[in-house]
Amino acid sequence: MTDLLKFSIPGKPEYVGVVRLAASSVANRAGFDVEAIEDIKVAVAEACNNAILHGISDNCCNYEIAFTLDEKKLTIAIDDNGKGYDIGNYQEPDLANPKEGGLGIFIIRALMDEVQINSNTGKGTTITMTKYI
Amino acid sequence: MTLEMKSFFNSEMNQWKLEVKGEIDVFTAKNLREKIKDIYNKKQKDIILDFKQLNYIDSTGLGVIIGAYGRMKEKNNNLIIINAKQNVLKLLTITGLDKILIKTNF
Repeated sequence: MTDLLKFSIPGKPEYVGVVRLAASSVANRAGFDVEAIEDIKVAVAEACNNAILHGISDNCCNYEIAFTLDEKKLTIAIDDNGKGYDIGNYQEPDLANPKEGGLGIFIIRALMDEVQINSNTGKGTTITMTKYI
Repeated sequence: MTLEMKSFFNSEMNQWKLEVKGEIDVFTAKNLREKIKDIYNKKQKDIILDFKQLNYIDSTGLGVIIGAYGRMKEKNNNLIIINAKQNVLKLLTITGLDKILIKTNF
């Protein structure tokens, strides 16, 4: 049996904290342990950061978050309707020479079991991440 | 979802101590940036970030710290994190920042 929770959140930085609480709550309900809940919370928030900072323009509009939960896993999809980008241009951060930006996706991949990013220039980006219970 | 900061200059140790409380995220990170800039402009000395009451930090927060670290390093000053909680430490370790920002003998 699959449960689906959907949120539509204004693309403003002050609301990412709200999403973190929601993500923690859903992860808790799913039965994850404390560390996994924290991982999910951090990964979801990083995807929200991406939606706000690189997706939606000028604080306008909402982005969508969908939590899909079954006995085996929790999958979260964050979908902005923003500018999109060429995934081929993504470069892994050089951890020996840290820079101010670019850590978000790296962190998501480190904390979640599966991560998929779909983006097309002009059409927006969807980041889908899964953690197994 | 809030960030409080308290800073004071320790003349004996000749360094700043900046205590942060709450969360450093995409909304509050700019406050941290301004605060660090502010104190560093007053006195260009080492800054110790005390994370004892920090519950959460994200990549924008890490970005602010990396930026400050780089600028301070150019002037031969250190930016050091102490008392990081487990969840914050995990993020610092994943990103490799623990190696440059955490010094156990400080």
